[in-house]
Order: sequence, then structure tokens, then C-alpha cells
Amino acid sequence: MRIAIADDERDVIEFLKTIIEELGHLPVAFSDGNALATGLSRDTFDLVIVDWMMPGKDGLEILKWMETALEEKPPVIMMTNRTAKADIMDALNAGAADYITKPEDRGVIAARINAMLRRGSQGSGAFETQAVYGKYHLDRIEQTVTVNGDTIALTAKEFELADLFFRNSDRTLSRNYIMETIWRTTASLATRTLDMHISRVRSKLDLKPENGFRIFTVFGYGYRLESLGK
Amino acid sequence: MNLRRRLGIEWLIIGLFASLLVFFANRWEGTSSFDNLFYDQLSGLSRPAADPGILLVNIDDRSLAKIGKWPWPRSVHAGMVERLQKAAPRSITLDIILSETGDTNGDAALAAAMKGAAPVIMPLHFISPGSDGKAYDIIPPAPIFARAANRIGHVNLELDSDGVVRHTQLCFDPESDRKSWPHMMEQVYRADRNVPSRAYGSVPCGRSLLIPYAARGSHQEVSYSDVLDGGVPEEMIRGRDIIIGASATGLGDAYPVPFGDGGILAGSEIMANMLRAIKGNSFIKYTPQWASAVLSLLPMWLLLIGFLWWTPRTALIASLSLLGLVLAGVAVALHFGLWFPPGAAVLGLLLVYPLWGWRRLQAMSDFMGSELMELEREGEIVPVPVRQADAADLVGRQSAALASAIDHMRDLRRFVSDAMADLPDPMVVTDLKARVTMTNILVEKRLGRGIIGLIFDDVMASVVIPEQRDMVLNYIQSHDAKKARQLLAEAEGPVPITSEFVRFQTRDGSTFVMRESLVQNASGTHLGYIYYLADITALATAEAERERLLQLLSHDMRAPQSAIIASLEGALDEAAKKRIERNARLTMQLAQDFVEIARMGETEFAGEDVILPDLIRDVADNYWPMAKERSIRITVADHSDSGFVLAEPEGLSRAFANLIDNAIKFSPDNSAIQISIDRIIRDDRPYLAAVITDTGDGIAPEILPHLFQRFASGGEQRGRSKGTGLGLTYVLAVTERHGGIVKGGNNESVGAFFTIELPEALEES
Repeated sequence: MRIAIADDERDVIEFLKTIIEELGHLPVAFSDGNALATGLSRDTFDLVIVDWMMPGKDGLEILKWMETALEEKPPVIMMTNRTAKADIMDALNAGAADYITKPEDRGVIAARINAMLRRGSQGSGAFETQAVYGKYHLDRIEQTVTVNGDTIALTAKEFELADLFFRNSDRTLSRNYIMETIWRTTASLATRTLDMHISRVRSKLDLKPENGFRIFTVFGYGYRLESLGK
Repeated sequence: MNLRRRLGIEWLIIGLFASLLVFFANRWEGTSSFDNLFYDQLSGLSRPAADPGILLVNIDDRSLAKIGKWPWPRSVHAGMVERLQKAAPRSITLDIILSETGDTNGDAALAAAMKGAAPVIMPLHFISPGSDGKAYDIIPPAPIFARAANRIGHVNLELDSDGVVRHTQLCFDPESDRKSWPHMMEQVYRADRNVPSRAYGSVPCGRSLLIPYAARGSHQEVSYSDVLDGGVPEEMIRGRDIIIGASATGLGDAYPVPFGDGGILAGSEIMANMLRAIKGNSFIKYTPQWASAVLSLLPMWLLLIGFLWWTPRTALIASLSLLGLVLAGVAVALHFGLWFPPGAAVLGLLLVYPLWGWRRLQAMSDFMGSELMELEREGEIVPVPVRQADAADLVGRQSAALASAIDHMRDLRRFVSDAMADLPDPMVVTDLKARVTMTNILVEKRLGRGIIGLIFDDVMASVVIPEQRDMVLNYIQSHDAKKARQLLAEAEGPVPITSEFVRFQTRDGSTFVMRESLVQNASGTHLGYIYYLADITALATAEAERERLLQLLSHDMRAPQSAIIASLEGALDEAAKKRIERNARLTMQLAQDFVEIARMGETEFAGEDVILPDLIRDVADNYWPMAKERSIRITVADHSDSGFVLAEPEGLSRAFANLIDNAIKFSPDNSAIQISIDRIIRDDRPYLAAVITDTGDGIAPEILPHLFQRFASGGEQRGRSKGTGLGLTYVLAVTERHGGIVKGGNNESVGAFFTIELPEALEES
């Protein structure tokens, strides 16, 4: 697939290029925002990875420009040195599908790119009664999770939540998205309810790096289940 | 004008004015009415006994009825004198004017009778003013009688201004330079003794003597006609001084005399009293002029001088006492034959008290008025309301205004002490001898005790750290009295605080700057010193922090960069890459911490509900790759059942990251780091306590006391905390921002522990 990458630092471009090429995709590099805009308007890409701080148009301006100029928008991953919560929320709320803080581990970046590309083809995935994610075996009929042969008792909501996370691993899910999906509402739900459910799922399933997964909290926005490879 | 000076001048004016008044009252007998009345009453208290050696032969109404109307023929008098001569009296005074010759036989018979054994004394009259412009005419007896009489004396009566006969002149000297005339009674005395009486010589000629009167009618008297008829036994006449005079109503020879009950006394009886006084030398003398003047002024001045010291009440009592004393003294003196008219002295005493009272009140009133005006003119310097005076008269209004001013002063004083107490810094006022006279509450609060009355040097010596004691004492003791005076003289108004100051540390670790100022009163007299102490501990800390920051930028930040450059020099093998990465991350961590700390100082705490165990798990998960490399296991044990805290997630995550990072760094390979979250109760409130325990080398003992101290002094951080940069400082700042507590220490067996306790955020109901 075609992935546009825009950054004014050569080293970062090269770094990203190798990751994308290792994943078997095609990177197309731009060195500033204006060049990226020109490229996007002339060409079709499956994913855009854009640096926030760039000459020409910066990351946020690119997002705004895409909103008006492009009919079919590819998902955008924002890369930034900024780690402040407010900045991340700005990016996500402006239309970025995900963000990566620099410097980030090579594997993490690869997982996030994969998750983004998978999202584009999600709707075509057939419903399967059984699913395996690393150690975790999900039975969607019985609504149980089995780890190393032990069945873990989950409530209906907890199972749905776990299922949602596993299916969307490495994607940042907003709180609103989760609540709409699991509770079919956003209004009447106490804010703590979601946090408590996720905390329970995390505890019960023992989601931690040793077990190949971790839950990452994007404060003020949502959650992300990261898979840490084999 | 100065009140004291004004009162002094008033006093002097009153003294001089009253003195003049008293002096002239004394001189011109301005108080004679009072003096006479007083004299009359006093002399009425004790009257001398009558002289039994005197017999009055009265030409009374009965005699007129028997003998015929006046004047009688001289032959009648001749018969009378003859008759008396037969009875052999000591003397015969014929107090009858016989200035012209009558019938020759009668005159001859009388003259013949007068030449008998007993001396006959006759009167000499002066008529003033005299005829032909002369001062007086002398009317002697007819020559025949003048020759027959033993002696002739004047019988002039001296009348006081009220017409009363109180005194007489034994020696009459109408023109001073001419010959003097003895009184008829003096002549009676001389006729018997042939020498002037002692009374006569007791005063210079022309000077009056007061007549001590015996009781009215106490001298024996007989009727002229009775004597003539032989109705009076010769024994009654023998050896006595006979005074023949007119007492009948129509004859008019009677005069008012100083008796309390008033009334008149026959001239002959007045003569009798005089004779008695001459014989006994019992006249009452006048005080000499100069003595009288002095005696009149003396009590007044005594009182005036007393006024300078006494209270008005004492002065009143004293003036009344002096009055009584003067009158009593006069009475005593009179008893011993000396008369001092007290009127002038009494006038003086009565005058000065109210006069002084009036002037003093006036001066006080003026003074109060001007002082109040002055006070008003100086204006309100503090917002204390002044009450309006409301009273009937001027003094009342002024009193009210004064009371109001005093209240105002009280308010002002209160205001000053309140203002002082509220001063943000300690302040101490001392007198010239360094004794503390005033402080504000802050001083007591800081010292934990009151220091009023103590010597400031001693106080400071006990407060300042020993190394700086001499410097501080030197500052306090370097008073230069001359310089202070000069400063006060130069300064208009308050003396500015000196620019010299001393900076010192107290034993409890605070840093102060002390400045000195002079205390003066309204007239610029140097009274003492004020010491202003400014607590600059925060400033000093900030200074140290800035110092530490520079250190951080110059050393802590540079060091990893230098290490990176050094690593690039050698072979770029895997180990070198690791070193470079570690150093790069360290620099980044430092920069991040620095930015975060700076940001925290600028923004308000804005927390959100966060599940503490999950936040810690997130952080621990981040460190999993680093821990895995060294086979360090991180376990998170939540015993709080997903307890919430109100947190700024980024900051709190970073704080835990610092602690976990630290724990990994100092843990040996193949060890475990345990993180447990527990519910605890602190100060009756639920807290969540996160404890991070490692099995490393622990914390060096010398670092323990200031593990979290912000930019602890002593330059580079050593031992375990070396290389962590701002880590623990950051942890402390974040924890405090979250209203929590952070602790660190060594475990009993091995390794270190760090605990962050945060208030639990309970679900809002």
C-alpha cells in the first residue's frame, strides 16, 4: 500500500522508510507541508504519516486542509515531539486517526501502521465465533476468555469490551466510541463506569507486556490496546 | 506660645497688679471701712477696765434743769472749782471753752478758785481752716483763765472718715515746723508728775495713737449739780482726777466712738479713756507705714508662689488659711497694743485666687484651643473618625474637643499597634540603651516568646547562627550618637531607613535582612531605634534554586552530551549505541523534567478522576522493555480495588516514571520491583498509598535527610541519586501539587522504598 510520509528531518524519513518497507508497503516521502499537500492532491495514499512541526503547512494545517480539499481522506498518523495531553487531544480532535510521540520504538510504530491499514479493511472481516489473540482465546458464543487453559469469568460488558479492544488492537479508541459501541449511549453513563470496566478487564485478563498486550491510556481521549508482538 | 511661659508671664502680671492694688489700698486706706469695722468688732471683744482714779463731773440735763440754761455764769463754775478744791482732788480738768471774758466778778472768782491746791487744766481750741487764709486759728482760754490754769492742752478730736473717734494725737503739731501742743490729758498727767508721759514719747509728734475704750459708762460719773449741792461726798473726789464736761443732750459735746453697738460718747468720757491710757501707757500703736505695706503684700506673695506648685484645690484651702491666719495675727497683735489694718492684705488674698484661677483657665483654654487647632491643621493621617464637640460654653466645648482628641489619640495608638502587628515582617523598637520597648506579634511568633524589656543584643545573639553573631552584633552596636543627631537635624520629618543592612541566618534556618532606623519624637529628639527584619528565606531559597538550575544546565545537561560525543569517538558497536541512547534519553528526561517543573509553577492544578493502579500499570508497562533486558520483574499489586485519585495524569505518570526508572537503575539484575497500592487513613481522610520497593543498594545515609530537597546544597548529587537529575525534586513537586506526601527510605533488609500517598477521590454522590 502507499504510505505518504512527511518530515523535515532526513533521519526520521529514512527511519520510517525502512519500517514501512519491512512491512511490505511503499513509502513516499515529502520534506515539507506544501509538498505533501501537492502530493496528496495529485495522488492517492492509503495512509499519511505527518510530522507536526514542519516548514510550509504544519501537521494541524494539513489536517484542516485535507478536511476541505480532499474528497476521500486517508487516515493520518500524527508524529510529534509534543507529549502534552492538550496537544495530543488537539491532534486527535482535528481529525488525526492516531498519533505517535517521538522518539518511538520501531516495533510500536510498525504495529500502529498495521493497525491503521487494517482499519481500512475492517468491514470485510467475517464474524468468527472463535478468535485467538496471542495467549488469549475468545469464545464469542460463550462470551469467555481462556488463557493458558484457564477460563476467566467476565461479565457481558467486560467481554464485549475485551473483544472490542482485541479486534482494534493498536488503535486508539476514543471514550465516546467505546461507550457508543458497548453501552449504545454516551449520555447517561457515569464517567467512572468506563474506567472501572477497563480496569477490571485489565486486571482479570492480566493484560501486561509479559502477556503480550498492554493497555495504554490516552488521558482525556481514550484507550489503546497495544500488542507487543510474539 | 509655650503654655509654661505664658502662665509664668500671667503669674507675674497678676503679682504686680495685685501688689500695686494692695500697696495703694494700704497707703490710701482704701479698705478703711473694712479695717474700721474689723477694729471695732475686735476691740469690742476685750475692753480694758475703767480707771477708778478718774471721776467725771457731767453737766447733764438734770444740772441744766437745776442751774439754768447754758452758758452758766462764771460764778457757778467758780463755786464748783472751789467746792472741788476743798475735797482735794489730784487734778481738775475744766473741759469747757472759756475763750472770752464774762462778768468781771465771776471771772475773778473762777480764776481765784483755779489757783487752789489741785492743778486746774484747761482746753485750747483750734479752728481749722482758720480765718484770713490761715491753716487754723488757735483759740486759747481768756487770758485771765490762761494765767490761772495750771496747764493748757489741746482737745482736738480726730475723726475717721466714718466720723468715729478712734485715735488721737497726744502731741498736736498742725504745721509740723511750729511748736507742738500736748493734749489736755497729757497736761493732766504732767500737772501731776511734771514729766511727759511715756505714751507721749512713744511716737513722734503728730502721729496718732488709738484709744483703747473702756466700756461705756464704766468711769464713775456724777452730776454737776449734785457736786455743787454737796450731794457728793468729799471722799469721792479726794485724790482723783476730775474731769468736768458737758454731757447734756443739747450741748453737743458728744462723738461717735468705736463701739460695736455704735452710738456716741460724751467728750469728757473720751477724755477719761485717754487719760487712763496715758497713765497706763496702754495706747494702741499703728504699724509703721513700711511694715504695714510689707505685711499687706507678704501673704499675697506667699499664696502666689504657692500657686506655682499647688493644685487649685490646695490653693483655695491655702488662701483661706492665710486669710484666717492674717486676721488671727491682727487680733493677737491688737491684744498686745499694735494695730495693723488687715484690709489690704485681705484684699490681696481675696484678689489673687480668683484672678489666678481666671488667668490660668484662660491660658489653658487658649492653649487647648491652639493645640487642637494645630492637631486639626496637621490633618487626619489615619481613617479614624473624630467626634464632634457639643457643649454649652467655650471651656465645655474645648473639654469635649480635648476628650475627642484624646479618644482620637487612643484610636490612633490602637491603629498604630494594629498596623504594626499586621506588618508582614518582624519589627523591633528599642530605646537608646538597646532595651526592647515595642515589637509586633510576628516577633513573638517567630521567637516563641516576648522580648519586651530585654536587651536586643542578647536576643539577637541567641537567635543568629554562631558564625554570624559577631557581624550582627557589630551592626547593632555600631550606633554613632553624633551621626544620629546629624541625621535627625538634616531630615525633614522621619529619618529614612539606613541603606546599610545586615543579612544573617537564624538557627532555625531562616534568612533575614535587618535594617535600622531612628526613632524620634515630634521635636526631633533621638529616642531609640527601629529594626526592620525582612524574612528573605524564600528569596534565599530561590537564589539557591537558580544556582542549582545553572548547575543543572552547565553540568547535568552537558555531562550526558559529552558522554555521547565521547562514545562517537570510539567504535560504534552495540554497547556504544546503548550508551549513546541511554545518555540521549537522560538528556531528554532532564529537559522534560525541567519544563514540567517550570510549567507546574505557572498553572493551576486541574485534576481529573484517574484510577491510580491503572495509571501506575501504564507507567510500569512503559518500563517493561527496560526491565526485561535486565530480567527485572515489576509487579503491581492493587489492594485498593481500582481506587480513584484526582490527578493531572501526565505529571503523576511522570512522577511514578521517575521513581520506577530510579528503582530499575539501582536494582540488580534478576530482581523484582514491587509496587503495591493500599488504602490508608491519614488525618481521618482516605488516602491511597503507592509503595515502590526495590532490592538495590539502598540510599546513602548522608543523602537521606535531604532526599527530596529542592536543589539540595552541596553541589553534585552523589551516590544513588546521581544521574537522576531533577527526578526526585520533580516527584516532590508533583506530589505536593496533588495534595499528597512522598517518602523515601531504606528497607529493613535490603533496597529502598518510595511511597506516594494521595488523597482518594471518592465518588461524588
